[in-house]
Amino acid sequence: MTRPSDIKPREGEVRGTRYEEYVTHDALPELRFTITPDVVREYAEAVDGDPAGYEHGGDKVALPSVLAPYLMAVLYRKYPPAQGGIMASNVFRFHHPISAETDTEIVADGRIEETFEKKGRKYVRYSARFRTAAGDLVAEAVNTSTFPS
Amino acid sequence: MKREFEVTQETIDRYGVINGDRDIIHYDAEYAKQRGFRGTLAHGLMVQGYANVVAVDTYGTNWMERGEIEVKFVRPVFPGDTVTVDLDDSSGALTASNQDGPVMVAIATLRTA
Repeated sequence: MTRPSDIKPREGEVRGTRYEEYVTHDALPELRFTITPDVVREYAEAVDGDPAGYEHGGDKVALPSVLAPYLMAVLYRKYPPAQGGIMASNVFRFHHPISAETDTEIVADGRIEETFEKKGRKYVRYSARFRTAAGDLVAEAVNTSTFPS
Repeated sequence: MKREFEVTQETIDRYGVINGDRDIIHYDAEYAKQRGFRGTLAHGLMVQGYANVVAVDTYGTNWMERGEIEVKFVRPVFPGDTVTVDLDDSSGALTASNQDGPVMVAIATLRTA
């Protein structure tokens, strides 16, 4: 079992990354974690989903957005977060179901896509890909967040 | 498909446990007020999670293999808000609103098989 808190640097633990320190097109290193039935259930409870999972071809599968709590870890492992970050937008594309009954090992990586300023706010946009340990693409995401200077 | 979700500091805290963050903007009301908000902020990904629940209710488990959601957060969500998620399955237009209006707008669709 890998809880997001096990792998995600958290605000206040180390100095947060300054906007100027994000490097466009920088690769975000591989991140491995395991989504267990307990994580699937706890996530579903946190968003008012079905903790038992969803019927799919005779199996129970997770809300695919169970990956969401791990999303920022892809960025924060290389660029620790500053306090006060606010999410502006997100894209998720789902490709492969995640079991609600057995453990699923996920391998994620990503890339800083761009940094930009708009209306006095400083934004960082990065992409992430999530695959199974066997290499099947599970989901892709693009996140844009703004961080205080 | 339309569904309501009640947001309280307890639900924000619960999401924070699984999310594993310590961003005080979600937990420290005084800090949030210093930043110009009327209280702590719900996690954007929590509201996006509500949208995913409604998408699965609408599209079934096709959502797990062919779902795409693009969201823009337009207004914060605070403890005490009721968020109504409304998904039009013919267009994929999804709006999450509180008492002040839209808080998140999105397109939630299935890719062609």
